[in-house]
Amino acid sequence: MKTTFKALIAATAVASIAGVAGADEVKKIGLAVPNLQADFFNQIKLGVENYGKELGIEVIVADAKNDTATQVSQVQDFMTQGIDAFIYIPAGAAAAAVPTRLARAEGIPVINVDRFPEGEPGDTFIAGESIESAYQVCDHIIKLAGGEGKMAIIHGQKGTTPEVLRFQGCERAINENPGVELVTQQWSQMWSPDEGFSIAQNMLQAHPDLKIIFGQADGLAMGAAKATDVAGLSDQVIIGGYDGDVAALEYLAECEGPFVVTATQSTQLMGRLAVDSAIKVAAGESVPERQTPNAVLTTCEDAPQYVEQHP
Amino acid sequence: MTSIAKDGSVKPSVASLFSLSGATGPLIGLLLLCAFLTFASDSFMSFRNFLNIMDQITVLGIMAVGMTFVILIAGIDLSVGSVLALAMMVLGYLNVEAGMPMSIAITGALAAAAICGGASGMMITTFGVPPFIATLAMMSIARGLANMITNGSQIIGFPAWFNMSAIIRYGGVLTMTVAVMLVVFVLAFVFLRYREGGRSLYAIGGNPEVARLAGINVNRTTVLVYVASAFLSGLAGILLAARLDSVQPSSGVAYELDAIAAVVIGGTSLSGGTGGVVGTIIGVLIIGVLRNGLNLLSVSPFLQAVIIGLVIVLAVAAETFKRR
Repeated sequence: MKTTFKALIAATAVASIAGVAGADEVKKIGLAVPNLQADFFNQIKLGVENYGKELGIEVIVADAKNDTATQVSQVQDFMTQGIDAFIYIPAGAAAAAVPTRLARAEGIPVINVDRFPEGEPGDTFIAGESIESAYQVCDHIIKLAGGEGKMAIIHGQKGTTPEVLRFQGCERAINENPGVELVTQQWSQMWSPDEGFSIAQNMLQAHPDLKIIFGQADGLAMGAAKATDVAGLSDQVIIGGYDGDVAALEYLAECEGPFVVTATQSTQLMGRLAVDSAIKVAAGESVPERQTPNAVLTTCEDAPQYVEQHP
Repeated sequence: MTSIAKDGSVKPSVASLFSLSGATGPLIGLLLLCAFLTFASDSFMSFRNFLNIMDQITVLGIMAVGMTFVILIAGIDLSVGSVLALAMMVLGYLNVEAGMPMSIAITGALAAAAICGGASGMMITTFGVPPFIATLAMMSIARGLANMITNGSQIIGFPAWFNMSAIIRYGGVLTMTVAVMLVVFVLAFVFLRYREGGRSLYAIGGNPEVARLAGINVNRTTVLVYVASAFLSGLAGILLAARLDSVQPSSGVAYELDAIAAVVIGGTSLSGGTGGVVGTIIGVLIIGVLRNGLNLLSVSPFLQAVIIGLVIVLAVAAETFKRR
């Protein structure tokens, strides 16, 4: 066992030296996403694919369907296919460090987007500044509600980076307004509209005087908006979302429902940044540890321009 | 493999026929699939990729063995994915949160899984709940318990050797996790083929009433089969935890469907009484090779789902057609 382990370390060392020394050209990029059903990840994928096409880089995409084990298998297959750079968005909360280790063993650049595994960060981490943007969204909906009233939060998948940070930001806004009372919060598994719908429906059942709902993703917020419509409470409830999904932006552009504000993430830009970073790291150039394409607070008025051209 | 006829006696001639028709169809399918992928992808036919596939099927392979037992007695176990998650969380809780040594944590995880199986088995035998409903209930209960342990969060921080057991290939070939899977395969094969207990599963699947009259304790065997299935799911959960170096309660969602698919593709009949572990292993390999191959060919994830669905339909249709 010892010899094998040593061999493994030696191989890793040699590979990483090779990775730094050789100004490698990136011809093939592997992109591992948690779940393409979520528009947010689909937009990043489109960003990477389109930019890859411009540069003549082949992009391979693997959809883990939110299952960490599936993702590890897919990343193993990436290595077999001989990718030159690895763009990694960990699936699930456990954010397995294993895919990063696999890529490190091959000595190829690892670019984390949106989330990164604890203890095993990649060469750079690209993600919107969640805390400040979540603060802005919550602040906006609290102000619209007159700075007071009962509030609910529909969280994303528990323990994931965006879930934790978005809550931190929103919590700050809540603490600044003593009239606001956070009466209920629930966690979703998939950040999806159907979950948002049923969670919100139960919340409205338990707290019919709810005034403010923050859905940590647009899918959740859209579901919550539907539930509010069904409960006949659209005039009373104000809903904020996050991400700036295409469907949500179209909804906001019409400006008719209780869901009135979101933070639009520059998903396509994230994809381009990821590809650029991968090329730089492979060539031995340095990249910042953290890159933050900021999310933009988007209301009914701003939504139409983003529907035309997603940032 | 061999089948016990309805009157309880073993008919070797019929048995050998079943041995062929049970696994040769899937085997030919697997070989064709491998041949196609060898031509279609440069990176498929390599020793390293073969080892990757072995790594990737470990969890499914072990769960599918348990599922084979269950389906042989004409039952079904929908709870395996949730039981896997529960075992993982118990393992993480005992080892990381409670600071107990790994041996105790593993024993605890396996015991928790086995208790779930025992409960399903009791619901089925003592209270006459149909297996589909009993294990559906257990699927929900085990998932809920798994989430309750940490209130939905993941646990990380296992000892370093634990993850290494899924990474280091002893002699350049076998990781510890793959070795465990192979041992399970061999034990299950020997048990089903040569042990009285294994033979009685075929009898129960063929006709439980006749099996009872022939002196088999049907209720006890049924409970033990569900315990075995849950125990193997727990074992699969421990190996998955080693592979991921972390545990989370949302693991293993929809794994029961993969396990059932592997068993059915492998030629075991959902109505019980025919089939075996060899077919299941081939079924597991077909799913594993297909997923790996489609990844290597960079087939779009959306199309992959369609193809895997079509293969399941094809396998079952071929089986039904052969039976006519």
